Amino acid sequence: MPFQSISHSRIRMLIIASVFLMAVFVVRLFYLQVIEHSKYSILADAEQVKRLTIPATRGEIYMEDNGTPVKVVLNETVYTMFVDPKIITDPEAVKDVIREVAGGNTVDGFAKLVDKKDTRYQVVAKNVTRRQAELIKKKELAGIGFQAVVRRVYPEGTLAAQTLGFVNYDQKGQYGIEGRFDKQLRGKDGMLQSVTDVSNVPLTIGNRNVNIPAQNGANIVLTLDRNVQAYTEKALSDGLRKIGATDGSVIVMDPNDGSVLAMANFPTYNPSKFAKVTNANAFNNAVVSDPYEPGSVVKTFTVATGINTNTITPQSTYVNTDYITIDDRTITNATKGQTGTISIQHALTWSLNTGMVTVAQRLGGGTINRQARNTMYSYFHDRFHLGQMTGIETTGEVPGELIPPTAVEGNAVRYSNMSFGQGMNPTMIQVAAGFSSLINGGTYYYPTIIKGNLNDDGDIVPAKQKKPQENVINASTSATMRTMILKARREFYAGNDRKGYDIGGKTGTSQDIVNGEYTFDETTGTYIGFGGDTKPKYVIMVRVSSKGRALNGGDHALPIFTDISNWMIDYLKLQPKG
Amino acid sequence: MSYYSSTTYARRRTGMTRGYNSVAFTSSVKLGPVTHTVLVALMITVLGLIYLTQATKATSYDYEAQKIETKIAELSTEKTDLEVENARLTALDSVRNSSVARAMTSPGAPQHVSQ
Repeated sequence: MPFQSISHSRIRMLIIASVFLMAVFVVRLFYLQVIEHSKYSILADAEQVKRLTIPATRGEIYMEDNGTPVKVVLNETVYTMFVDPKIITDPEAVKDVIREVAGGNTVDGFAKLVDKKDTRYQVVAKNVTRRQAELIKKKELAGIGFQAVVRRVYPEGTLAAQTLGFVNYDQKGQYGIEGRFDKQLRGKDGMLQSVTDVSNVPLTIGNRNVNIPAQNGANIVLTLDRNVQAYTEKALSDGLRKIGATDGSVIVMDPNDGSVLAMANFPTYNPSKFAKVTNANAFNNAVVSDPYEPGSVVKTFTVATGINTNTITPQSTYVNTDYITIDDRTITNATKGQTGTISIQHALTWSLNTGMVTVAQRLGGGTINRQARNTMYSYFHDRFHLGQMTGIETTGEVPGELIPPTAVEGNAVRYSNMSFGQGMNPTMIQVAAGFSSLINGGTYYYPTIIKGNLNDDGDIVPAKQKKPQENVINASTSATMRTMILKARREFYAGNDRKGYDIGGKTGTSQDIVNGEYTFDETTGTYIGFGGDTKPKYVIMVRVSSKGRALNGGDHALPIFTDISNWMIDYLKLQPKG
Repeated sequence: MSYYSSTTYARRRTGMTRGYNSVAFTSSVKLGPVTHTVLVALMITVLGLIYLTQATKATSYDYEAQKIETKIAELSTEKTDLEVENARLTALDSVRNSSVARAMTSPGAPQHVSQ
């Protein structure tokens, strides 16, 4: 009995102890799992649930190459190579492999960085390719790491640099297409929220996993033709070198749909090396962002206005005395000696200012009154779109300036100057697009450089284009203008033209403003013209200038036009007449 | 009409149950509380094992998927590298400076044949 009693007592004690112990566990578990639930839940999530960004791939940019899109801007994954000197066991082997495999990409004094035992992170090479990185990894040396970096690649170098723009170190598009379409090119990063293991491998357990795929950026196809662009740049560069000029721009357009085939500027730069550019002007696309007085090329617009309003015909005559007085100002011809009764065609061919002022006067019935100025403004601004944004899809476009007749400055003297291309500041793109409407039958096409987007199947989804403005001049006026401009070229400048084609053009020379005053010591030369077989197939506008140099359209801009024009005939495979 | 039918049916049900003896089947095997506990524990264990097997299986698929995704990423990078290389090799400057292009002669003026 005593034994039984002791035994029961021990069992009871054991039961009590067990129950107590279990109670402790239960209470502790209750505390941890119920009372402190949210706290530990947050801690567990922080440890296990990872939010990973799925980076969107930046869209690529294409140019045309004989109708086939070719990549001119791509992405490339390169690696920044770093070392942890503290855990490097064989510094000499590390230095040797870096020198051997990534010799051209090392940072200055990388060997010393490897020996800095008191540091944990030293960048020793940049822009290491995947192949180089793999070769280094194969050596299995401790203390070497790689960080992937996506960089923009411009395989064509300086080609169309101002049109393309570049991507800066913050991965933000700057200038040109990169700047204008940065948002579309960038795309949208995706997100992956998932429970992960220690190696950050996402696991499907848990009910809060989120997977939002990245939306890659749009692939943009430009209307620029790679070959036309390359030849235009070469012709501009050669032409400037020959005349010793420093600055120049060229635009080549299809006058039948407004698409820009080439836009070249000099000086230029390589978008891959944008940080090395010392003159920020090199980033600007002067064709769209630098308004100037285009000079006598505007005479084609004045004559077209006169013909379309039935004010004049090419055969209309006037008495040329080489000067004409408007209010208190006397306007003279740059080319003198063509005095007497001459035709408007003659005035255009010889680029006589007096002839154009006469046209402006006749628009008002004999004086450059409000009616004449209103008509000129209506044609120049509303029909030919001078002095207003064209909407070309790139950064930096400016409206330029065309003073309306309602303004105080929009007086008779101003409009007499405007009739031969002074006292107004349009951009090259405005003049080229307006000129296209003069010779294409009378339709104004808004200039464009975007052909469309390339979808995943490799098909081009055409971009929505602005509706063209029809009948800015009559078809008959346009035909007359073609003939007049052809004659203007053939009289003096067609010697080097390919025979059997219709190539017409007009020179322009304008004084630059130096220290607030017009000077003859520094002038800008311009030439605009068209070429084709049965109808105009291209419009080319060239502008050249140089500090302290008097450059003119006929001697300095025209040869560049002729060079490009002859090449275009071959490139477009145009058939000669006859 | 519907009320009438309903009351008739209720009366029939009452009549059916009244005249029958209900017989319950009684098993000859008696399971004690310990056996019950063991069985329940076994069932819980089996269910737990099934859950663990499935969860492990799902996780192993995750690793498989991760491997495939890594492979896709590698191939994609490789493809991009090749595209960049192709673009560099076919760039106009590269072509112009190639040995093939250097060996070429300048073309003469084209002759057109009228038909």
